[in-house]
Amino acid sequence: MALLDVHSVSKSFGGLAALSNVDLQVEAGRAHAIIGPNGAGKSTLVNTITGREIPDTGTVTFDGAPLVGCQPHEIVQRGIARVFQTPEIFHDMSCVENVTVAALAHRDGAFKLNFLQHPRKLRAQRESAENCLARVGLQDKLDARAEHLSRGDKRRLELAICLANQPRLLLLDEPTAGMAQHDTQGTVEVLRDLAREGMTQIVIEHDMDVVFSLAEQITVLHQGSVIASGSPDAVRENEAVHEAYLGGAHE
Amino acid sequence: MINPLRSESVQREAAVMAGVVAVFAALPFALPLIGGYGELAVQMTAWAIFALGFDLLVGFTGFLSFGHAAFWGVAMYASCLSLIHLTPNVIPALIIGVVAGTLVGMLIGYLTLRRYGIYFAILTLAFSQMFYFIALSPLQGITGGDNGLTGIPNPLFFGTQLGDWHQIYPMMAVIAVGAVYVARRVARSPYGLILRAIRSNETRLQYTGVNVRGYRFVAFLLSGAFASLAGTMLAMYETYVPVQSLFWATSGEVVMMSVIGGLGTLFGPMIGAGVVLYLENVLSASIEQWLLILGAIFMAFVIFLPGGIVEGVARLRRLVLSRTGGDTNA
Amino acid sequence: MELSEFLLQMVSGLQRGSIFVLIALGLTMIFGTLGVVNFAHGALYMVGAYLGYVIIQEAGHWAAFIGVPILLFVLGIALERGLIRYFYKRPVTDQILVTFGLALVIQELMRWIFGGTNLPYQLPTWAAVPMDIGIGFFPPWRLLIIGVTAAVVLALFLMFRYTRFGLVVRAGMRDPEMLKLLGVNVTQRFALVFGIGALLAGIAGVMGASTTGLVPEVGMDVLVPSFLVVVIGGMGSIPGAVLAGLLLGIAQSFTIMLYPPLTDVILYVVAAVVLLVRPRGLLGLKGVAE
Repeated sequence: MALLDVHSVSKSFGGLAALSNVDLQVEAGRAHAIIGPNGAGKSTLVNTITGREIPDTGTVTFDGAPLVGCQPHEIVQRGIARVFQTPEIFHDMSCVENVTVAALAHRDGAFKLNFLQHPRKLRAQRESAENCLARVGLQDKLDARAEHLSRGDKRRLELAICLANQPRLLLLDEPTAGMAQHDTQGTVEVLRDLAREGMTQIVIEHDMDVVFSLAEQITVLHQGSVIASGSPDAVRENEAVHEAYLGGAHE
Repeated sequence: MINPLRSESVQREAAVMAGVVAVFAALPFALPLIGGYGELAVQMTAWAIFALGFDLLVGFTGFLSFGHAAFWGVAMYASCLSLIHLTPNVIPALIIGVVAGTLVGMLIGYLTLRRYGIYFAILTLAFSQMFYFIALSPLQGITGGDNGLTGIPNPLFFGTQLGDWHQIYPMMAVIAVGAVYVARRVARSPYGLILRAIRSNETRLQYTGVNVRGYRFVAFLLSGAFASLAGTMLAMYETYVPVQSLFWATSGEVVMMSVIGGLGTLFGPMIGAGVVLYLENVLSASIEQWLLILGAIFMAFVIFLPGGIVEGVARLRRLVLSRTGGDTNA
Repeated sequence: MELSEFLLQMVSGLQRGSIFVLIALGLTMIFGTLGVVNFAHGALYMVGAYLGYVIIQEAGHWAAFIGVPILLFVLGIALERGLIRYFYKRPVTDQILVTFGLALVIQELMRWIFGGTNLPYQLPTWAAVPMDIGIGFFPPWRLLIIGVTAAVVLALFLMFRYTRFGLVVRAGMRDPEMLKLLGVNVTQRFALVFGIGALLAGIAGVMGASTTGLVPEVGMDVLVPSFLVVVIGGMGSIPGAVLAGLLLGIAQSFTIMLYPPLTDVILYVVAAVVLLVRPRGLLGLKGVAE
């Protein structure tokens, strides 16, 4: 059974159909890429999975349990972590504080009234945070203020935050957008390592090199509908995909 | 900003608390030496705890509340009504005051916390004004309306009447020290870190699995509990509850004290309360336009030194140290 | 209740609401375009009222009705250029704090100059004497308030619809970032918008002083209900402000007649109900809140 099962999801904004009958199945431990021209509905799809938007029709099931109607924080607690197109981080806190928050959310759940808990009880979470930061290569920037990081480092910090949540599914919305070549390679390395360890991933990407070096399955979205889905080779050969990218709406 | 991840040694914490105890102990004696009077310490302590609670909300989450007078005033009325109608004992009055204030907070919080930032400030102002008008007119039979609540007996503490400020101040000081300790614990707890994260990036916090709404609500209530406690103490001392205690100007005053002192530092707002009250009592005797001056001072801080006195002192210290070639990280 | 009594209260309510509407319009325009919540807006009303008082004594009523809005317009531009614009880049809380401080300073300045007692606001005799409007006796002055407000709303509507400036302001209210990208000189517009907002408050002040009283506290007294009007109507929505203002005015008017002790409280009750049932306000845009 698929870990994540998106079934017949549709979503319209006003008169515009952002998603039409989208199906997506992601097996546990696999890396799945979603590609498509701008406006194809990729971000909307991610938003419906993470609870930011509620689909008009269709179901989203994670590990057998329905996600539609759940609050975003509930969905995260169930094991889905998300990286945003523009890195969302705690800009006025240090890197280690950023990740510790996530470690705390993992330990305490969505809501815990521990306002009298002594700081020494945070040590384990701080260590976990440091490990996550080392994982993404930020071990030298533990106390650096998040807003002073480079764009690439901010993205890595966000990834570390997600890792501290110990998710079962990682949703990455254009993780290498705006990155320089060496940054992109570094990020891909980390993601491949994670994939090797069995982390299920959904990656939205425009960079085809990244897509083909990471993905085991690719779903192609175009104007809100799935026009192709399968192995990278199959998608590469697909007529409709060529149309969409090279014929009509080419970005 | 108090940071729970910086290792706080037990000695340092003990030293800080010892300092706090010393300040509260010395206050009534020090005041007459600088043109004040001992009794002023009672007001200063009450407002300091009010400001402390305010900071726990605004300094940490960034939600600017203009309605804290609701906690303060309702707690005053509730505790004093308890003294009049239930029992003159001080402990039940304290409890009732804090509970009543917090309940009011739950109502206001529920109505206002669905929206944040700008809306929150306006709505807290509006709904605390509602309580002012309720006390003024429909409920004036209970509250005394425009005249305020009078006929309050001196509170009894296990049989001793606490009538004189010399008797009530020690109790207040002990409660105050306790409040400061609790506030510091709260700031350094995981909960405190999450509050700061709310201020920093709510979206990210939500998508990190945290129920932001729940924490916002608790932050509001906790802050209100401090304000209620402070109001209760002051009202029991004065044995009078003016209806102005619910008025927007009271909310405004704690806002100004906290900003002048330095939001987010816990000690800043308390210092701000002390400074403002001191100036008010010393200056307003000779200058009629005290409030105008306070407003102007407040604006000056907001424009030029938004971090308040605490930031001012920190800057001064850095300046002095850099001039003398000292270690700026000391 | 007879029909004529009911209608009379409605008219009274419309007059009350008109003052709210004038102030709320300025507030919502300033918030919608500049993103600033002007806690000093009530103070602008108060300045308008006091200025009106002075000018009436020196130069008569017409001079006041024309002069005060103009003076307030100038004051508004001065405030925006001299103070508010430095706060666009600063956190929202700082904006609120500085306008709150300004409100307090202006209030106390007025107290210093004029004292704290309620000053008698002289109306022209033709305006003060209640006249028969068919359903009862009603002071012409208060009818004039309704008329002026209607004219102002119409003028604003025309401006927004048919002038370039209006188009820019409307666009700015919906998407300020886009405007900047299009190269429109937004900051110039800001000063004008603030000026217009102040002008509206000035009209409200010079016309409404006789109904709200003329004390330094009147600024904040009218600000809080006006804030409620803006929030109930929907932040940034002009029609919303008009609708909500009139609604609250009427609600208060009937409360005075039916159960006076709740006169001031009723506004908050209505606000609470609306917020619970429809958080974005009556005509607010979805996604503006929460």
